[in-house]
Amino acid sequence: MEDEILKGEVLQPSPDQKVIEDQKPAKTFFIALKVFIVLLALLFLFVFPVYLVPALMEIPKGNKTLVTNFLTLKKDPSYKKQITQLNRDIQRLSRKYSSYTSGQSYIVINTTDNLFYLYRNKKLIREGHCSTGSFKMLKTEEGRSWIFKTPKGKFTIQGKQTNPAWRRPDWAFVEEGMPVPERQDDPSRYEYGVLGDYALALGDGYLIHGTIYKRFLGMPVTHGCVRLNDEDLKAIFNTLSIGSKVYIF
Amino acid sequence: METETTNKQQVRKYGLITLIIIIGVLLIYYAVMAMIAPAKKYNGLKDEYGYKQVVKNSINDTIQTDSTYLALFREKAFLQARTSIAETDSIYLSINLVDSSMVLEISGVAVARTKLTRISLSKMFLDRNDYVISSMLSKPFTIERNIASIPKEPLMIKMAPKDTSEFKPDIIPDTADYEPVNYILEMNNGTVMHVYQEEKLNRGDRSHLFLFDLRYRLRSAWSTLKSVFTFKVPEYHPYIKVRLPRSDAKIIYRALPGHGQIAVYR
Repeated sequence: MEDEILKGEVLQPSPDQKVIEDQKPAKTFFIALKVFIVLLALLFLFVFPVYLVPALMEIPKGNKTLVTNFLTLKKDPSYKKQITQLNRDIQRLSRKYSSYTSGQSYIVINTTDNLFYLYRNKKLIREGHCSTGSFKMLKTEEGRSWIFKTPKGKFTIQGKQTNPAWRRPDWAFVEEGMPVPERQDDPSRYEYGVLGDYALALGDGYLIHGTIYKRFLGMPVTHGCVRLNDEDLKAIFNTLSIGSKVYIF
Repeated sequence: METETTNKQQVRKYGLITLIIIIGVLLIYYAVMAMIAPAKKYNGLKDEYGYKQVVKNSINDTIQTDSTYLALFREKAFLQARTSIAETDSIYLSINLVDSSMVLEISGVAVARTKLTRISLSKMFLDRNDYVISSMLSKPFTIERNIASIPKEPLMIKMAPKDTSEFKPDIIPDTADYEPVNYILEMNNGTVMHVYQEEKLNRGDRSHLFLFDLRYRLRSAWSTLKSVFTFKVPEYHPYIKVRLPRSDAKIIYRALPGHGQIAVYR
């Protein structure tokens, strides 16, 4: 009998137990809600200074400039004087600005894409591939270093040469692991036929010249000079004269 | 026992309410201080670039709102800015926000052009007829800081061989690059220029831009936060956000000097 009662008690929960079990899902829901609210609050605290405040700063201001077009103002002599002065300034500045673009021939070199553009009388007459500085930094264990990059900015052609010889600088020996000749005019420094048929000097040892490595044209592979193929080099050599501008970017 | 528990619960409840109120007040204070910043910036610009009465006459008050005068004034300001940079012989950028173009120039010679595919401006730049802003644009912007996803100079270090036996000729360089091109230029007058690549070439490009932008936003938020909690009005940085083809964005970033200059027309 007792066993039956016990069995009955186990199988049928008391009203208190029923309430506790009914509350379980509700409790879980409230905990989840609390966690959600906390996460939402944290997200808001992150978004507020990063996105909301900059957006608040950009709320358009109400007082937009009210543009006028008063006829009485336009008839005023002081107004006319100021407008005339402004027009004169614009004309002067425009003239000055257009005078910067040379009517003579000039070349533009793009070192990022390794392209050149040749202009005559402000018109593009030739464009094509070239090779510019490789951006390699050559370092020795003794602490010497060279950076192989093409300088950027405005340059002028300082000299023109046919059948140029290359006088190898120190880095050309260091790069190949060869001993550097002490004398600058050492015969081992001179190499013939590697710079093509022509060379145009930009100053500081930088040249526009030809190449025997034509498959590298269009790539950044040089030690700072600008390399071109034979036909382009010939056209540029014949178009540009000493003093012509070279724009490198 | 029951009363103790109820008291504890009440203390926790009031503590939570107090914390929420404190955070709320701080956020409101933060927002108000931040919203004051643009007005402070504009007033500073007004003091520097506002209309100066040279000769006292009847038209001075109204001329700065006249349509003809403002159109000519904007044109002159742009030419003035470009001319002053052209004389420095360096590489610079001319941005025309009206016809959505960007020109890279060296000493007045246009060397590269690109079309801007998308432009987004700060409220300060939206009013084309604002005399103060037009006057500010007559002076070129100078870049003070670059933040970019690509290096300015892609330097590679190569150790020299000890002798000829160690020498290995260079192989063909890998010219295919996949890095997304996004950069932010901070100017001397407080303006910030965001330049983002237009194309989404790779799957990761969108998330890269989001993270790049987020990093910058976090940095700005931190500096605003520092100002606000030291009871200072934070610095307001008007922005110019542009999108352009990736190749052009890269050319421009690599060509511009670290402290390059920019002329803007709007």
